[in-house]
Amino acid sequence: MSSPVTVWRNHKNLRNYLGKKAAVLVWTKIYIAPEGFEHEAPYFVAIVKLEDGRKMPLQMVECEEKDLTPNRKVTLVVRKLGKVGLDKVIEYGVKAKPRS
Amino acid sequence: MKIKVKGIGLTKFGELWDKSLLDLALEASIDAIKDSGINKSKIDAVFVGNMLTGKIAGQDHLGPVITSSLGLNAASFRIEGACASGGLAVHLAVQGILAGTYKNILVVGAEKMTDASSNQITWALMGASSSKERKAGLTFPALYALMTQAHMQKYGTTRKQLAQVSVKNHYHASLNKKAQYPYEITTEKVLNSNLISYPITLFDSSPITDGAGAIMLSAETDSKGVFITGSAVASDTIDLSERASLTELKATQIASKKALEQAGVGIKDIKVCEVHDCFTIAEVMAMEDLGVCPAGAGGKFIEKGNTRLNGKCPINTSGGLKACGHPVGATGVKQIIEITEQLRKSAGQRQVKDADIGLTQNVGGTGATVVVHVLQNL
Repeated sequence: MSSPVTVWRNHKNLRNYLGKKAAVLVWTKIYIAPEGFEHEAPYFVAIVKLEDGRKMPLQMVECEEKDLTPNRKVTLVVRKLGKVGLDKVIEYGVKAKPRS
Repeated sequence: MKIKVKGIGLTKFGELWDKSLLDLALEASIDAIKDSGINKSKIDAVFVGNMLTGKIAGQDHLGPVITSSLGLNAASFRIEGACASGGLAVHLAVQGILAGTYKNILVVGAEKMTDASSNQITWALMGASSSKERKAGLTFPALYALMTQAHMQKYGTTRKQLAQVSVKNHYHASLNKKAQYPYEITTEKVLNSNLISYPITLFDSSPITDGAGAIMLSAETDSKGVFITGSAVASDTIDLSERASLTELKATQIASKKALEQAGVGIKDIKVCEVHDCFTIAEVMAMEDLGVCPAGAGGKFIEKGNTRLNGKCPINTSGGLKACGHPVGATGVKQIIEITEQLRKSAGQRQVKDADIGLTQNVGGTGATVVVHVLQNL
């Protein structure tokens, strides 16, 4: 996970994504996770396209497999990223949640 | 361009617990030097392709680690470009000879992966991805799973078609005593193996491997032999999501076009290829990007047996990354060695009849770096 100063710097950008709307392009379900994400496996990650045309990979939250169809509408939310590191700093990041 | 592949050396690939990175690199190097017939005092430089040793074993500065063990004071370099480190080392050595700086260069690709846990390896390999991808909890199998999904959506490619890449490469590996998995597998075995990242299964994926390869490149052009006649590198976005298309590697298209032009040949002239099948979808996309078959037709092309030994265009006769193994920094060098064996007609049971021109494609990350070489027997 990132160092405290990197977390502090990254957190300043989160407001730029909060509440943005996007659509799912492709998705996968990860069974073998990297270090820091093992406790969340299996979990979904999708490449989403924002309304302004930008594309980005995001972990999906509050989501089931049936929600993941091409062009499924999602909203960007802020959530905790992975495990808390040895320095006890909680890192937050952007994830995507299906729109009801 | 005419750079002679004067000597080759390759270790067994696999879980080689009794051998260190240096043991492997030296074994391959000594074999390549012997095969070249060049006195080692005539080696001007040593180029080492390696990705992970600094991260997982704490050993950087690999150039002199290898030259000093060979008893040389030659110029030495460690080249890193993720899983394309070996191919990049070969490319830079070619440039070193073309520039007239060096006459004889030993290129070594080496990786020792099984000393680390699979979690450590997964983490270390993700150094080749973007920070956005790491924060999303992605892994390399997951990134290639996203490309697989895109290919399936756009072209209707099936999991059964993709499984044929593994089945074919295991068949080729069964003919290669240096391969990590020298045995055949069935389509059902691939389809029913554990999911790593949907729809990619364990048997769609290349393994964690120890191994090394070395080649001696020379400026000598006055005798017959195998020559590198095209060598090109191209790059693309480090972040997969930023690309216009998820079903092609633009860097493969650019690098292969350049390398084929340098060699003065077309893709139809290529008799045998070694491509970067880190996951089954990668081989399908490589065939399409190289122009071996049209875009979207890769699944059907492999299903018909066209890329099997004695097919229309044999691909990965070594067993590829899937079954020969994928010691990441060594793979690009191993590909050159396999094509050299094919062009020398010394590939034994896996010899492609009439092989006179071959091609290698080595990929770093999800295609952010691609190296393509063309080799000819002249």
